[in-house]
Amino acid sequence: MTQMDVRVHADPRPVPAPDDVSRFYWEAAANHRLVLQRCRSCHKMQYPPEICCVHCQAEDFDAAETTGRGVIYSYSVVNRPLHAGFVDALPYVVALVELDEQPELRVLTNLVDVPPGTPLSCGLPVEVVFEERGSVTLPQFRLLGITS
Amino acid sequence: MSSLAREVAVVGVGYSELSRTGEPNPNALALAAAKSALTDAGVTSADVDGIFEYKFGPESPWAQDMARLLGVPDLAAFADIFPSGPSGLAGALAGVMAVASGACETALVYRCLTRAAGHQGGVASGPETVSGRDQFLTPYGYLGGILVLLGLKKQRWMAEYGRPEEDFGRIAVNARRWSALNPRAVMRDQLTMDDYLSSRMVADPLRVLDCDYPVNGAVATVITTAERAADLRHHPVLVDAMAYATGRGADWMFDTDFLYGGAGDCADRLWGRSSVTAADIDVAQVYDGFTPVTVAWIEALGACGRGEFGDWVGDGSRLGPGGDFPLNTAGGQLAEGRLHGIGFLNEAVLQLRGQCGDRQVPDARVAVVTSGVYPQCGAMVLTRV
Repeated sequence: MTQMDVRVHADPRPVPAPDDVSRFYWEAAANHRLVLQRCRSCHKMQYPPEICCVHCQAEDFDAAETTGRGVIYSYSVVNRPLHAGFVDALPYVVALVELDEQPELRVLTNLVDVPPGTPLSCGLPVEVVFEERGSVTLPQFRLLGITS
Repeated sequence: MSSLAREVAVVGVGYSELSRTGEPNPNALALAAAKSALTDAGVTSADVDGIFEYKFGPESPWAQDMARLLGVPDLAAFADIFPSGPSGLAGALAGVMAVASGACETALVYRCLTRAAGHQGGVASGPETVSGRDQFLTPYGYLGGILVLLGLKKQRWMAEYGRPEEDFGRIAVNARRWSALNPRAVMRDQLTMDDYLSSRMVADPLRVLDCDYPVNGAVATVITTAERAADLRHHPVLVDAMAYATGRGADWMFDTDFLYGGAGDCADRLWGRSSVTAADIDVAQVYDGFTPVTVAWIEALGACGRGEFGDWVGDGSRLGPGGDFPLNTAGGQLAEGRLHGIGFLNEAVLQLRGQCGDRQVPDARVAVVTSGVYPQCGAMVLTRV
């Protein structure tokens, strides 16, 4: 049995297929670091990765490590399955997190390790954690101060 | 005088039967709507030299299919527009441009939808690995079309402006007030705010009554020059102005202006080209694929300022029959059925002609139509002169 077979049976949720533009991001995640593109010309960070800077169109980036801290910009709670891979994951929280590094720099994530009954709201501080899903590591976020 | 290179008129509107069940043949639906629009206009298929349609996939016939089925001799201009445009109005916007530019003289545009193509609930199977931009979306359970996105937009709206859910409920309740007066509408039972607030969550806080209602059905429109229109059956409705917009950082999720996307740019562009202003709107047909979309458009159009919708709309009666801002007078996609933009265009034309019967807005002379939202905005101002 291959590792892929193990993954499919162990966790049916989709995983990313890294490409030339995104590989640095997923490789950093595998090392439990949240690293984004930072433009060498205008010094702005961006997410998701692109072939050029969406702020100034320059093409050279540094891979910039973030603190992994931010606040909930918005969130939605999915209580019913929209995809076969997520049936066992219900309910789950999809959140947009605005990172502390830069205004309007937002990352899509799940909000994980939420204790039952915890009231959520926009603006709550969060921090990155890392989820192993098969052979891939996904950055995820949890409420700051929650330990699991 | 409009802002277009040639004066353009909308001269025919047509509908197929709209249904909530069954699996009718999309070609038959689209053909029925097209024939009905040609008859309404008083033209024949021999007059058609342009066809434009918007599609997700096989739910709508290609322009060539339509040309063959109708017996159109030849097409001088045509396009099948895939779903990065301003929803179904994309076909009509393209038709207006083609006629205005002289690329064709008489354009047929349509949108055909089936429940199977329009329904985003349910458990889809999906890929185990995802590439491109989906790498950063799908692994997090961003699924079901844009349902989760609209949950995020609604949540942020309420947090940003400190507003309750009832603001969105006004749109849902209003749709049924109008659909009660529209025999074609598929959802005609009246709703109360309590019904709205107790409807089930799709992607909390997005409720099922925030979402439009998928139907089997097609809508078609005939567009030609104002010069030709003067000799046709109905008093012509003129395209005063049209606009597209994407907004900065064009994207559904990571756009710069998260709550409005390109709606503000689209409205500004539209009014910059129009011979009338937002204060002149007699009837508004505003995209309502989801209620947060409608609220964003109403503010972007300038009916009120950003974040002011709740105070502006009050108890919602101003949007309904007899109100001073009649909104989505056929019931919109929430209640007439999901007809993707062209439904709004056709209703605007019928209102400006004075053919809406029980739901007619008295002496309507200026209509605004918007379609799509966020990075896929489109709009028109229509006038009866």
